[in-house]
Amino acid sequence: MKTLSLKSLSKTYFDLYAGSHHTALHDISLDVPAGEFVAIVGPSGCGKSTILNMVAGFIAPSGGEILVGGEPVRGPGADRGVVFQSFALFPWKTVLENVGFGPKMRGVPKAERDEIARDYLGLVGLAHAADRYPNELSGGMQQRVGVVRALANEPDILLMDEPFASVDAQTRMTLQEELTRIWEDRRPTVVFITHDVPEAVFLANRVVVLSKGRILEQVEVPLARPRVWDRLVEDDAFKSLSNKVLALVRAA
Amino acid sequence: MGAGNRLAGALTFVMPLAALVLIWAVVVPAFQVRPQIFPSVAAVIGAGLAGLRDGSLLTHAATSLARVAIGTVLAVLVAVPLGILMGISRGLSAFLTPLLRFFSVLAGIAWIPIATLWFGYGFGAIVFVIFNAVFFVVVYNTLLGVSTIPMPLRHAAASLGAGRRAMLSDVLLPGALPNIVTGIRTGLGFAWRGLIAAEMIATNVGLGYMLFVARDFYQTEVIVLGMIVIGALWLSIDRLLLAPLERATIERWGLVRA
Repeated sequence: MKTLSLKSLSKTYFDLYAGSHHTALHDISLDVPAGEFVAIVGPSGCGKSTILNMVAGFIAPSGGEILVGGEPVRGPGADRGVVFQSFALFPWKTVLENVGFGPKMRGVPKAERDEIARDYLGLVGLAHAADRYPNELSGGMQQRVGVVRALANEPDILLMDEPFASVDAQTRMTLQEELTRIWEDRRPTVVFITHDVPEAVFLANRVVVLSKGRILEQVEVPLARPRVWDRLVEDDAFKSLSNKVLALVRAA
Repeated sequence: MGAGNRLAGALTFVMPLAALVLIWAVVVPAFQVRPQIFPSVAAVIGAGLAGLRDGSLLTHAATSLARVAIGTVLAVLVAVPLGILMGISRGLSAFLTPLLRFFSVLAGIAWIPIATLWFGYGFGAIVFVIFNAVFFVVVYNTLLGVSTIPMPLRHAAASLGAGRRAMLSDVLLPGALPNIVTGIRTGLGFAWRGLIAAEMIATNVGLGYMLFVARDFYQTEVIVLGMIVIGALWLSIDRLLLAPLERATIERWGLVRA
């Protein structure tokens, strides 16, 4: 587990239509201590996915710095696991091979990485699906595989880009509960991007509200754990925190 | 697809062909068509049996198949790596794409005259023509395949620690495979046609040669036999070799593009 620091991060795009530069992110500074779960919320176009893509190393910042455990980020790397909105499972690999891919890249022998993958699949109740191909699974099952594929590689930081946005509401709540359970158990450092405010409050220790490329406010979420929806939907503290964040996002 | 379905599928495929043979068997005697114009079914079967007995039919067919196989394998071995390189290098792709477009129009029989000047009559010239027929379409489809791999898949592999080699073997190659198979299938179709044309001009053995020489002796039964063998061989290659390959991989992965 390592600390993530964003130091005066900015990102400017050249807009081909407008013929001018467009600033997607201004001067973002954020510290995520090891083992913390941070959610970044904001309306679409606020730059939240840009932050994640820069931390993942998929795009380069225009200014500022990203440090993981004090080391600057220079591209994608196995120290930062990513869970994608589109799942991004390899269609030509079985579920077991997908989850074992990170360990395979580290040179873990086949028998051993199959065992690792089976353990992680068991964590999300998918041990029975090990030999199936991703297209044979439902969206919710595919994203469970996406989450444990990132976890199985034991990254220092887990980056999640609207991971539950493309599954149905029922499944989404189950996945959120599974994710908190895993987080409470293993305490990985997580940066979670979403536009769903209750989701952010339910999952995170801290919610960062982003607006027009700037950090508007950071809201601590001191709700007790373990968190489950049955209890939290009626919980006053949860409701008032959600309303507070929602008001910030709507003002954004 | 179950065995019953597959049998039904094969039947629907064979029925129209059987009907055509039936019409042929009725029409030729009914109108007393002269053998110099079109042969009877019996004459063609006779020519087939004679060709089998003296081994000439097998020699022609085997020679043709060997040329296609060698030309195709060589073309795929060069085309797939080049297509992947183009898929990951924007500059290379921008530079080579116009050339690719130009030569894919030419691919096939337009190469025969110059091929015979370079390689003489025979094996080299024909394999060269087949190489060209397959090469350009496979390069193009490989490039297309690599460029249609969703970016998140490449990102996912990179953030799971994949280096260049793993990116190639575990992401780019399998991701481009549906298009590569399509390219090989299309290219083989071109190659088969190019082969017959090339064999009429540039050799003294092979199915195309067999057809062309038969014409000089008004042996319509040999010409029609050759045409049937050419068509049947192609259908067998396509249905027995390429289609199962597609089923075994691409459909299983859910990658078939409608």
